[in-house]
Amino acid sequence: MTTDGSRSGPEESGGADPLLSVRDLTKQFGGLTAVEKLSFDVYDQEILGFIGPNGAGKSTTFDCVFGNYTPTSGTVRFRGEDVTGLPAYKMRQKGMARTFQTFRPLDDRDVVSNVGLSLVSDRLLTLRGLFGRTEEAAIEVCRRVGLEDDLYKMPEELSHAGMIRLEIARAIATPPELLLVDEPFAGLSDGEIERLSELFLDLRDEGVTFIVVDHNMRGLLDLIDRAIVINFGELIAEGSPAAVMADETVQEAYLGGEEI
Amino acid sequence: MADSSLVGEVRARLSWAGLKRAPIRYYLAAVFLVGLALGPTLGGMGTLLMLQWTTAFFFVMFVLSWDFVAGYTGQVSFGHTLFFTAGGYTTAALNLYLGVDPLLGILAGTVVAAVSGLFFALPALRLGGHYLALFTLLPPLILVRIFVIFSDYTGGSGGLSNPEPLLEAGDFAANAQANYYLAFALLVGIFALLWTITRSDTGRILTAIRESTDAVQSSGFNPAKYKVYSMVLSAVIGGLAGAVFVHTPVGSASPSQLLDLSLMLEILLASIIGGFGTITGALVGGLFIFWGLDWLEGVEYVLPVIQTPVGEIATLLFFGVLLLLVYFLEEGILPWSYRQGNRVLSLIRGGQRPVATDGGAPDGAGDAEGVASHEDSMDQGTAGSDAGRDSQ
Repeated sequence: MTTDGSRSGPEESGGADPLLSVRDLTKQFGGLTAVEKLSFDVYDQEILGFIGPNGAGKSTTFDCVFGNYTPTSGTVRFRGEDVTGLPAYKMRQKGMARTFQTFRPLDDRDVVSNVGLSLVSDRLLTLRGLFGRTEEAAIEVCRRVGLEDDLYKMPEELSHAGMIRLEIARAIATPPELLLVDEPFAGLSDGEIERLSELFLDLRDEGVTFIVVDHNMRGLLDLIDRAIVINFGELIAEGSPAAVMADETVQEAYLGGEEI
Repeated sequence: MADSSLVGEVRARLSWAGLKRAPIRYYLAAVFLVGLALGPTLGGMGTLLMLQWTTAFFFVMFVLSWDFVAGYTGQVSFGHTLFFTAGGYTTAALNLYLGVDPLLGILAGTVVAAVSGLFFALPALRLGGHYLALFTLLPPLILVRIFVIFSDYTGGSGGLSNPEPLLEAGDFAANAQANYYLAFALLVGIFALLWTITRSDTGRILTAIRESTDAVQSSGFNPAKYKVYSMVLSAVIGGLAGAVFVHTPVGSASPSQLLDLSLMLEILLASIIGGFGTITGALVGGLFIFWGLDWLEGVEYVLPVIQTPVGEIATLLFFGVLLLLVYFLEEGILPWSYRQGNRVLSLIRGGQRPVATDGGAPDGAGDAEGVASHEDSMDQGTAGSDAGRDSQ
């Protein structure tokens, strides 16, 4: 795998419109500014790394982008459409999916039913599903993410890696255009990171655009096309993975803390 | 699933082979329902017994309305009596003071109940858990006090006098029979509606809300829509039941029958003991609570040592039994019997767990009963903690 140039990044997009465009995003909690005037773009079929030390405002940013929070100011455009402040389920319907860093499984049902939830009818009165579930589609998604041996396990029986796969399976059950994965590699072995990265690359080849949020570059170097680094809610660097790692501001931000 | 394949599914289930494959519990339920349907006509059920069953039917409707919203979406309300009161008092007052026809009054009562359902549903979007429980506990308590203050109009703690009956069928016995069937039909209708909703795709979203609203949002569904829907539908059902109730010989618009906290407690107990969040359990639990207490009150056996007839301390004994049931049978009577029944069946059929052949199959041949979480996990043969513990 190479780290630059071989994939369609923003350069190759030749001025194409970004898939996701965030402008001057600001989020304040009372007097505290968690995110300040943050602007960035994500292009079709790109894998963007979104990096920053713990507490930099990564999660808040994406809670705002994906509708879990309402931004204080700024705009979020998806495919050119202003989606600022829409609730999370509407974002999902428009094609934006996410995983959670702290998992959100449905503990009362098995893996297939967790994944299958995305596929059920959204009508208040329906006879659908009355005679058993139509599971084939959900099973296919589980196979896709490597949960084929855990189909009828309950979430609590899954390993940490299995839990991450479950989050991803739910996010791709109805295929998204843009997928945010929040700290997917935390607590995983190198082998597991590699398998997960392969899955991301496969999905990207099928047309999915990725934002991978993480607090350091572990596992990201070979995966991402471009990185954005934020600290204290502000953008401090942007560029190829190698370039941001060499950036002085970035190194300062991580100084005395963890490794970038 | 397209409608045509649904019709096909129904046909397959109703075919001879499909019926032979149907679980035993469906037959038990069918026999029970047919028994209740024929009881007053062919079964020689006495008038008094008919009236008691009528009361029991209404109680079960109250339990069903609560179990649907609390058991499935996790919006636990301690104030469902507000809905019964909204329905019952509205129609009774309209009839007594304005001479409104009971049928119209019941409609109006149901609408008022729906509005009171909104009154719970909107705060429920912000409040969760015990905050919601506490919030919903207060309105009925406040309403009782208001009824006492304005007792000239509301009858205070004694309630309103009886409004016109909805049905009249000549003599007392015929009247009781007509009302029995009215209540029975209403119960069957409500049960069928709630059973269908909870076993369909909608039920899967409702239970998902109980587990994680973030997961529901991430799956592309609006949790608020389903929360409001379930609370308001629950209020409509409770209000309708309460409104019809006051127009029967067994019911009246009075706090003891519609509004008191003790009624709420009985509903909680019935749903939890029957099997929380299962609908079928609400039916069984409701009948168990109603008839269990009734039966104990009739026992004349004098307890040794304390020299007291059982009937005199029936409530005390009954609550004691409930205490033990809640503790030792956490999952509820129905899920427990379901599990035990499966064990017995598997022993009879030669040691193989039938659930394993049934649930693991990804072809959807598994049963549609299992939306209730306990049952679902068992159907898959995944040995959830309960099942595991008991089979050892």
